[in-house]
This record gives sequence, structure tokens and C-alpha cells, in this order.
Amino acid sequence: MRASRLTIFIYASIIGVPLLLILMVAGLLANNAYAYTVLPILLSLALILFGVTGIFDVFVHPKYPGSKNRISEGTHGENKEAPKARSGKEINFVLRRFNSETRKFDRTTYKTRATDRTTILGALLDIKDYQDNTVSVRCNCRMGICGSCGMVVNGKPVLACETSVLNVAENGAVEVAPMLGHPLLKDMVDDFDDFFERHKSVEPHLYRKDVKEKYAAKSEYKQSKDELDKFLPYSYCIMCGLCLDACPVVNSNPNFIGPQALSQTYRYYADSRDQRGKKRLFDADTMDGAWGCEFSGSCSKACPKGVDPASAIQLLKGDLMKSLPEK
Amino acid sequence: MELLDYDVVVLGSGIAGLTAAIHASRRSKGALSIAVVSKLHVMRSHSVAAEGGISGVLYPEVNKDSQKLHAYDTIKGSDYLADQDAVEVLVKKAPDEIRFLDHIGVPWNRREEGMIEQRAFGGMSVPRTAFAADKTGFFMMRSLYDELLSYKNIDIFNEHFATSLIRDGNGIHGFVAFDLADREIKAFRSKSLILATGGASRVYSLTTNSYSNTGDGTAMAFRTGLPLKDMEFVQFHPTALVPSGILITEAARGEGGYLRNANGERFMEKYAKSKMELAPRDIVSRAIITEIREGRGLRDHESGLEYVHLDLRHLDSKKIDEKLPMIKEITMKMLNIDPSKSPIPIRPATHFTMGGVHTDIDGRVMRNGSKHIDGLWAAGECACVSVHGANRLGSNSLSQCSVWGRITGIGAAENASRRKPSTSRFRKIAEHEEKMILDIADREGSLSPYKIRDSLHKVMDEHLYVYRNMKGMKLAQKRIGELRKRMDDIYVADKGKVYNTNLRDTFEIMNLLDLSWIITESAIRRHESRGAHVVAEYPKRDDKRWMKHTIATKSIGGIHFSYIPVKIMGWQPTERKY
Repeated sequence: MRASRLTIFIYASIIGVPLLLILMVAGLLANNAYAYTVLPILLSLALILFGVTGIFDVFVHPKYPGSKNRISEGTHGENKEAPKARSGKEINFVLRRFNSETRKFDRTTYKTRATDRTTILGALLDIKDYQDNTVSVRCNCRMGICGSCGMVVNGKPVLACETSVLNVAENGAVEVAPMLGHPLLKDMVDDFDDFFERHKSVEPHLYRKDVKEKYAAKSEYKQSKDELDKFLPYSYCIMCGLCLDACPVVNSNPNFIGPQALSQTYRYYADSRDQRGKKRLFDADTMDGAWGCEFSGSCSKACPKGVDPASAIQLLKGDLMKSLPEK
Repeated sequence: MELLDYDVVVLGSGIAGLTAAIHASRRSKGALSIAVVSKLHVMRSHSVAAEGGISGVLYPEVNKDSQKLHAYDTIKGSDYLADQDAVEVLVKKAPDEIRFLDHIGVPWNRREEGMIEQRAFGGMSVPRTAFAADKTGFFMMRSLYDELLSYKNIDIFNEHFATSLIRDGNGIHGFVAFDLADREIKAFRSKSLILATGGASRVYSLTTNSYSNTGDGTAMAFRTGLPLKDMEFVQFHPTALVPSGILITEAARGEGGYLRNANGERFMEKYAKSKMELAPRDIVSRAIITEIREGRGLRDHESGLEYVHLDLRHLDSKKIDEKLPMIKEITMKMLNIDPSKSPIPIRPATHFTMGGVHTDIDGRVMRNGSKHIDGLWAAGECACVSVHGANRLGSNSLSQCSVWGRITGIGAAENASRRKPSTSRFRKIAEHEEKMILDIADREGSLSPYKIRDSLHKVMDEHLYVYRNMKGMKLAQKRIGELRKRMDDIYVADKGKVYNTNLRDTFEIMNLLDLSWIITESAIRRHESRGAHVVAEYPKRDDKRWMKHTIATKSIGGIHFSYIPVKIMGWQPTERKY
């Protein structure tokens, strides 16, 4: 960073003004006319000169080890300059940052500008790049398809990249926090290992008896539009984890496998190309499986892709009821 | 430093990487140990953002199509810089890959009889692009990821950022990476390594690509002395949403969308009378920029970007819902525009890196013009097997990723069962690299890496965009040199170990600086206009002097350039008209 001339002037004054006063008092005591005529003028000139030539940079430039303004966490001189002259409304961004060392939340407020096209993710990255490099956010596609940026904005679980700042701002402020339904890593970033294990546990892949044919396909499996529509809505899952964050059951009983995994059970169960048959259904026939769901519907409300896991779970339950005699 | 030993390691987790891992595992019948290492969660790679579809001749009789025609379209689209033997492999194997993807669960759009539907795409003579709505890449990724989970001998390493390859003589033995979760540095030792790290479109500011597309693998290969091919060819997708750059699929035009300038004219008539909006991307992008330059564009006041309109208002809204649902979702959420009621503001943005790590037809990485390096493959966008030449046709990328994902996966598995593990020097090289990572993490200079990135974007956006000129490129050359030097004086503010994205970003920015340097130097040397590379001073294609691939190799203090011929299998270059 480069200290502004104003800062330098202030520094110079801190040294200069007392010196000036001492000289003037001494002059007055000796009843010397120079003390209140020439001396003040000379010193003022000297101060201006110091300020303009930047002689005091030694004290304020971060490259000099003794400098007080040496870069420290959180405040980076160069970042203080506004990144781009941006139009829009000023917004107070309150970040509830998870501190990985203290395992507690730090509340930090950043000011940034937003227009009607600024997304929460866009604003967060702006803060990260130009105000505080230590802010961590997980993101990738910024178009709502990779599932990286699930977080809680003003109390609602959303994808940061497709949420408009101005649509959610209340009194010029937005509060952003990580999802609490997953273990936390840092700031807005959750640990997904457990979430991925849940997904994997339902064997989410098309099962075929003829594996050789699967890998050397000579023709496609025919599928009608009706057959496609049965599982299509459940295949939109981007694995963002928002449904798990919203689910009241998972949050009180961690053994409940959760809406994401169950929706994927149904997705493969309902695909006419799958040959696993009812085994998928019976696998979900446990108190921590389909029957764990209390049908609060929070998962479907939270899903940014309209997957509706709640309906998938009810369909599983329905088919399980119908299959009872078989079992 | 932790040392991890695997037979096959796949670095990168897009369509090419996941396909490679699956086929390596299958070929080894579960006997080999395989790792997929990604700087993201593996299912979140940029391939999820591919929209329009995957090319391949599925029903020659029904669509009056043939592999020969697909090859011809691809070669003509490449402005005759594609290696024709590689194109033949692509068109021959692509249909099998579409059927394989069907078999692992991709919900293809279907015709009434249950067959896979295909749509029209730019530069393709007939409809031959299979699609799953406008989320084809996403569905392919999810299906591949789910399939991958069924293999017990594949370990997944999410969020590990690789910084450099470990090369000893003429062999590659692995790489060093740090775990984003706790900054633990790990050395992965491999008998076979597959690079599938994607493209480098993030060297520009306006791009359709995800934040992750920083060309890490390509840059690492270059730094270890491996040649890169045809890096001057960067594809600009004609229809990126203004101002964010989010991709509006070519399928929007494939399904009948129009491009209109400020006067409401369908200007493509002037540039490609027969193909109109469905001309190849380089031609459409130039047409849009020409319209804007000549004052027939519109201006977005907030971002200062100029644009034209993509008009879907005349399309049946049911068609939009069924075949372009994501486009509607994006324009509604980002701009509050309903595409069936208002035109969409678009302009060209960086989309695809045609160049990349120089490989042979089997995806083996070359160490010079004719010999390959031991133990390294490359597939997908990071590789240049030369199927796209100077301009890629839409929907050929997904087929390329699938086809060479499988080829390299099988090749790497076969090699791994033969090759001995590496030498004792491995640990020494890895430890040296560990020091380098920690040195960067400790940097306390005076410059913000993000500012340097912003300056780089400005240079690339201005001087290496759709239209280029020698003066501009020379200016860029100078500026990039300065920016590269400035990296010595950066600070990394985040000193934490847990999920330190500041450190990752710094490495990415170093990669971007290397790659933009290579792109610029390669572009300055190609004195002709071909495909996506158009230079004002040399406005014509020059087959006599420039029908050859650029090979850029690192040399002491600079880049060494050499050239190798294009492989011709019978399609002779002719004038490219649409």
C-alpha cells in the first residue's frame, strides 16, 4: 500500500506542532520577535515540504519493517481503494464467519454496493477480492448448476449465486451464514464428507444384469416420455446440501439418512432402465430410511432446483405399503 | 508430507476425468489402485455447465447422416487445422459413448418411439446433437459420478489443489498437491497419471466458464518442460449473457432462435447466408463484434458492455420449457427476463481452449514433436489431440471428453500394470516442491494478486479477443511480462490452514499468467487468420505457410517455438464458406 499524503501530513504534524510550540514559547520567554513571525512561517513551509516529498513514508509504508501500517490480517492497504467505481445501493454485509480455530462465529460487517443484478455470491467475492482476502466461500459455476454455494442468507437456505442482493436486503443489510446442517470448515464453507457418504450408501447408479453390454452398448435402451417423466424431476439434484440443512429430522436424529439420499433412491428405483427392482425399495424400509421422514416438507421448500425430495419419500412409502405382502 | 501411492491417478474430475477413472478401473478388473484428485468436489467440475448436447451419429438412416459427414463438418469447422486421423476416431467412437451414457442413466430427451432425440447445432450439416434438456453436461456428470461410486478400487480426493508435476528424466511420476481442508501437503505417486484439468478461459474476464477454469494442468505441464500445442486458438462463444458472461446455449439457436442487432435486423444474413445463426462460433462471434463496431449494437450502461439480442420470442413457450428450461431459469433469475417475452442481451465471451497439452492420437502426452513422455496422458479440454483445430464445433467437446476419457483410462491402466514405481529421487523433488508451496503461502509483499489478475484480464480482453492486431498483441506481450514480474512482490493475506482460498487463488493466478503469456506469444507468431485467430495485418488463411500446429515449449527465460504438420487423411483444404 501507499500511504496517502494526508496521512503523511498528519504524521509530520504530530512531530512538527509540538516542536513549533516549544520554539514559540522559548522565543516568547526570551522576548525574541522571530519567535512569532519568521519561525511559524518557516515551520509551516517545512511541514508542507515533508508532506509533498514523502520524507515520512519511512514510517508509514508497509514495505518498511518498522511501519505501523504493515499489512496485518484483515486490513490490506491496497484493498482499501474501492475496486471499481460501482453504482448501486450501499449494503451492509453482515458475515457470520465460522472461525476454525476458536470453533465460534465472528460477526464482521463489510460495506459494498449492489445493483439489481448483484448476486450474494458476486458481492461476497467482491468483498473477498478487494476488502478482506481471508474470507472463504465455496463456489464454482455461478449459474446454479454445480451446487457449491449453499448458505443461509437472512435465515433462508439458498444458493448464493442465484440470489439477488436487493431482493433479500432488509433495511440495507444482508446477513450471510454457513449452513448449520453440515459440519463446518471455515467461514461460509461446510464439510460435505458425511453428506457424500449418505448419497453413496443408497447405491446411486443404474444396475444392469448384463454388465458387459452396459460398457459396450450397441443400441440405447428405449424409454418412453412417460417413463422418463417418472424419474426426471428427481435427477435434477445438484447435491448442494440445502435440503439436509433444512430438514428438522436430520438435525435432531443424525441417523436419519435424509432427503437427498432418499430422493436418489427413488430416482434410480423409478428409472425404467434400472434392474435392481424392489431391492432399492426394501433398502429404504427402515426407521432411519423412508419411515424416518416426518413430512415437514422443508426439504422441498429449500431445494433450489425443484427436486421435491418430500414427494419422492412419500412415493417410496406408498410403494412400500403396496409391496408389503411380497416382503 | 504425506506420500500416497497409486497405480493410476486421474487429476481433474470433469467428464474426461471421471470417464477415464471408470474405464481404468473396469479395464483393471478391480486389480489396480486408482485415485481421482480434484480441486473441487468431484461432481462440481465445470463440465456440469455444458448445456446444449453431445455430437455423434446415432441414426444414419433417420437423420440422413454419416460418420464421414460428421468428420467433414468437424474438419471444415476447424478451418482445416484439425488432425484428420483424430477426427476419424472422434466420429467413430462418439455414438458408442452416447449409448454408454444412456446405459449409466443420462435422461436423454426422447422421440415418441423411445429413441434418443437429436438437435441442430452450429456448423453441423444435420441434427446430430443428443441432449438432455439444456443440462446435458450436468446430467452426464451426475451419471458418471454415480457410476464411479460403484467402483471399490477408486479413491476420491475432493478439494486437493495440485501445484506441480514430478518429472524425472523422461518420465512423470506423480504430482504434489495441498488439501484445501487443512493445507496438508501430499505427494501422489503414480505409475500412470491422466491430466483432465480442463480449459483456461479464466485468463479473460468475460467468460462462460466456471471460476475453476484456470488451466492448472496445462500450466503445470508447460512448467515441467512439456510442449503445448496451438494455444493461440481460443474460442469465443457468441451468446454469453450480458453482463455476467453466463452461457446461453447454442441450442437456443439450434431450436430456432434469431440474432438481431439494434435495428432489429437478423444480421447473420450478411455473414453466413446459408447457415445463418447456425454458422460456426468463430464466424458468429466475429459477426456480432462487427455489428457492434459499426454502431449497430446496444449498450449496457451499468457494465459498459455492448451487446446484441438473442431473440426467442417467436418460439413456442412449450418448446422453451421442454428443451431450454435452464436458459429460462437463468434469464429469469439473473435479469428478470422471460425469453418468450423479451430478447436476451448477449455478446461473445471466452468459452473454450482449443490448444492444450500436446498429445498423440491415444492421448499420450508428447515430450517433443515425435516422442512421448512416460507415464502421462491428457484428456478433455486440457489436452490438444487436435480434433478441434482452429475452431471447435458446438457439442464436439462432450464427445471429445468422453471418447478420450475412455481411451486414456484404458491406456493408463494397461501401462500401470507394466510400469515399475518411480525412483528414489521422487521424495527429494516432492520435498523441494513442498518448500515452494510454503514459500508462497508466506509471501508478504506489497501487491494484491487479485489486482494483478484484474490487470491481466484487461490486457487479454482488449488485445487477444475476437479481432487481434500486431500492435495490440505486442502491447499485451509487454504488459504480461511486467505482470509476471510483479508476482514476485505479492502478499498472501490469509495465513490460515483451513480452507485457504486465498492461497489457492494465488496459485491459479500464477497459472493464468503463464498461460496468457503462451497464448500471446503463440498468437504473435501466427501470421495468418484461421478459425478463432484473426489478425488485422494478415486477414487471409495461408495454407502454404501456416497449415501447421504451433508447438510451444519452455526454454531458459522464454518459450521455444516449433511447428509440426497437420495430418491430412483425404479432406483437402478449400475455402470455408457457410
